[in-house]
Amino acid sequence: MRVILLAGAVIGGIALVVFLVMVAGLLPPQTIRLVEGYMPMQLLAELAFFVAVFTLISYLLKKNGLGIPRFWQGISFWLFIILYLKYRIYPPIPFSVRAIYGTIAMVGVFMWMSGAEDDWKEFKKPILNVLDAVTPFHKALRTFYLIAIPIILWGFSYNSFLPNLDEPIELRTVHPAPPASTKVHGKTFVLQTASNPYRVNAEGKYDQEYSNKLITEQSMGRLLKPDANPWDPKAEGYLKFVREGGEIFFQNCHFCHGDNLNGRGLHAFAFNPIPANFTDPGTLAQLQETFVFWRVSKGGIGLPRESFPWASVMPPWEQHLTTDEIWKVVLFEYWHTGYYPRTWD
Amino acid sequence: MGGLTPNKMLSILALGAMVGLLLLPIVVSMPALAGGGGTPAAGGPPPDVAKKADTPEAAKVEKARDVYYKTEGIVTGAPAPKTADNPQFYPRYNFESRVLLWIANQQHLYYGSFVLAVPIFCMIIEFMGIVSKDKAMAKKYDQLAYDFIKISLTAYSLTAILGGILIFTFLTLYPAFFGYLSSIFRPVMHIYALLFVAESGTIYIYYYGWDRMKEGLLKWIHVSMSVVLNVIGTTLMFLANSWIGFMMSPAGVDEQGRFLGNIWHSIHTALWNPLNVHRLLGNMAFGGGVVAAYAAYRFLASKTDEERAHYDWMGYIAMAIGVAFLIPLPFAGYWLMREVYAYRQQMGITLMGGLLAWLFIIQATMIGILFLSSNYYLWQAMGRMRGAEKYQRYIKYMVFVLVCGFLIFITPHTIVMTPAELKAMGGQQHPVLGNYGVMSAKNGGINVIITTTVLSFIWYQRGNKVPMVSWAKFGNIFMGCFFALAYVNIIWLAIYGYYIPANVRVGLSVPQVATTLSCLFFMTALNLVMLKGAKQSGAIEWGKISVRSQYALIMLATAFTWMMGLMGYIRSSVRLFWHVNEIMRDNSPWAYTHTTGFAANMISFNVLFFWLTILFVFFLATLGVKKAPAEAKVSVPGRVPEPATGH
Repeated sequence: MRVILLAGAVIGGIALVVFLVMVAGLLPPQTIRLVEGYMPMQLLAELAFFVAVFTLISYLLKKNGLGIPRFWQGISFWLFIILYLKYRIYPPIPFSVRAIYGTIAMVGVFMWMSGAEDDWKEFKKPILNVLDAVTPFHKALRTFYLIAIPIILWGFSYNSFLPNLDEPIELRTVHPAPPASTKVHGKTFVLQTASNPYRVNAEGKYDQEYSNKLITEQSMGRLLKPDANPWDPKAEGYLKFVREGGEIFFQNCHFCHGDNLNGRGLHAFAFNPIPANFTDPGTLAQLQETFVFWRVSKGGIGLPRESFPWASVMPPWEQHLTTDEIWKVVLFEYWHTGYYPRTWD
Repeated sequence: MGGLTPNKMLSILALGAMVGLLLLPIVVSMPALAGGGGTPAAGGPPPDVAKKADTPEAAKVEKARDVYYKTEGIVTGAPAPKTADNPQFYPRYNFESRVLLWIANQQHLYYGSFVLAVPIFCMIIEFMGIVSKDKAMAKKYDQLAYDFIKISLTAYSLTAILGGILIFTFLTLYPAFFGYLSSIFRPVMHIYALLFVAESGTIYIYYYGWDRMKEGLLKWIHVSMSVVLNVIGTTLMFLANSWIGFMMSPAGVDEQGRFLGNIWHSIHTALWNPLNVHRLLGNMAFGGGVVAAYAAYRFLASKTDEERAHYDWMGYIAMAIGVAFLIPLPFAGYWLMREVYAYRQQMGITLMGGLLAWLFIIQATMIGILFLSSNYYLWQAMGRMRGAEKYQRYIKYMVFVLVCGFLIFITPHTIVMTPAELKAMGGQQHPVLGNYGVMSAKNGGINVIITTTVLSFIWYQRGNKVPMVSWAKFGNIFMGCFFALAYVNIIWLAIYGYYIPANVRVGLSVPQVATTLSCLFFMTALNLVMLKGAKQSGAIEWGKISVRSQYALIMLATAFTWMMGLMGYIRSSVRLFWHVNEIMRDNSPWAYTHTTGFAANMISFNVLFFWLTILFVFFLATLGVKKAPAEAKVSVPGRVPEPATGH
């Protein structure tokens, strides 16, 4: 048992060292990669792993009479979380979210430290030692804090009064509430009830279940379902319309939205923000097909007021495509990403 | 049982009078309902209209279609007024009228919720006192219920005063809108007023009859009166809810807002029932929080061990009731949102993905704080039990699980960032945050949090006990496996949600919730069975709880209050520029949506104002305690009050 614990601690220790070396910039930040598509669970699993490692190391050190004081356990774990969020996750997380996560982590550390009375006493001890100046060292430290804390606060205050030249932060509504209906090429579509006329089964009837079974496997490879190849010349009905939608997509849309529909097309990086990434579960998968139809038809210029600052340069495609073509493109986008359009029943 | 004493006679008469008063509005309203047009949904005009069909006036009868029920009805009301931005429709002071109304409304709602919730507690606690076999305990419960209703009585007067202020504010600042709303709900307005009279009468008899009706049959009549009181209170709330339901999802009117004669349609709108359930649970959780905060305040101010023990116990009971209603609250909220989406997709998106999405992130933060505070309180409460140390060593792992669930639960879908951060992120979507920011993950997060709270509670129940049943080992293994499988199931379903259509994904919340509730009901029940005849490793030392736990209770109550203010604002502002959604437009200068910061400041102001005034109410209650006769004290002199035997 002791060997297993030791081995676990050594492996965990190595992982911790690799992480810290990555933070210090001595190793490229993505030496141990986060795998796209699995990142959310990988992140949680890694955090759980490190918690286990810290527990193990702490246990072994304590057993050998080298226990880490609780105060430093808490502080160092919180710092670890802050560093992890900043340096481990790529693409970088915006500060607003890191601040939320960091604050909650701090609350968590406080709960851990003060959960039991004895732990809380142990945690408070170094703080009280400084406040009570129990030794000359603590007294010096207290004097230092007495001087340093006002200076730090003054620094923050001074900084907040300086003119800020950064671009202002944006609280952009990416998916605004759509209108109840939209008029495209003279025809009114009620968004709550309209449906894609090309999402049809072999008999030509609207059938979402049928089309759902024929979309690509929703994974990194976007694998075709067996016997469901839209590029098969014999493909009929839904798959045929997917192919037609794909042709329209690659003639008009892929320059910005990319071959893989991930928003990284040829011209994508001329814009900020780059075009929508349809492979993200927060875009197509959250929306009704009619919502996408409305957005494509009306483009960035047709965004409602709540979408300020209207950071979209997508043209209103109703000026370039027919209604049928827009529906087919929407059909293709859902097919290719492997997501299902949202329905409310 | 004894004979029929004058006291008993009086009590029975009083109860009969109360029931009569309760039924009176319904009897009075019968003609109004019948005359109001019957049930167009069943087809054909109501009898009184049909009778007139042959008369020449029948030709002039105008029919129109209900905007929601799509049934035909006789037009009996005027169209919704088309207002304009002038003092005729919107008289004003040199101040934003909406803000004034906001304050008046919110304060009335806080007190209204409190006085509706507390009698429900009293009912439960008084009943617990009656059925308790331990006489000292029974007296203690009875005294607690009495203390609760005493606080509620002062708050009740304040509620009425605030209700008056609210109506005056409406009449003064929004006369056209209020006139229209009154014209729709005219048939039930007097019922509301009469119910209020009935509620007042019942609560006064309930309170002042406490001592006279303290034994035997009379005590049962007394507790039955609390049932009557709560039925009246709940009906009052349902009626008030019908007005806000009508404003959000109008029915019973045509497209011009003309009343079509069927008041039930206007009451029973698309969102009425979900609002009723959500508000009822919310009120209970809120009431529990406020009483727990009161107990915490008294605990912190206590000078003797006896007082500390009493208020520690009171805080625990109030917290337990509050949390018991907090646990199903997210599910009721989920149902409400589902109905909102079903009613108007736009409204749902405005709430959860669009304009108001950030307010929902703040709401998620508040929910997280509530659960974290509850867990923290339970862990602290283990500190007053000898033998609970064995569970305290696991706190750090529970914190980790709770924090992970919380982080996912509050990850925003729409992220606040600078253009530089947006560029660095490579687009609006983030491969981690994007996944956490949607419903599937969030459902997983909140269910993990609730399941962990249940686990904390079970450990708390076991704190000072060692199961002695012969199958204890098997029971523990079974319980461990049940919880492990519950976590696996919840997390697995959260991941699986990304691979299936949205309508199926919405359905996945059912097995997730079922898993959580299974843990709550089955495991708590199993635990109680296992603890029958358990060996006590030490007594619960009431009053020996850390002060941090009391701050957790205050935090719990503040979070409840803040969240109520927030959710009320969200619910109201989702109508955007409508007084009555799609029927009556708000043409006042304040028909815009406030910034998130302004709204947060307003909510904080309302919370602060409420807490300042309720402190005054608490203070009044303290004055009463000081004047209470010595015999009202229940504990034996020199003896620390006995703890509750059960949890």
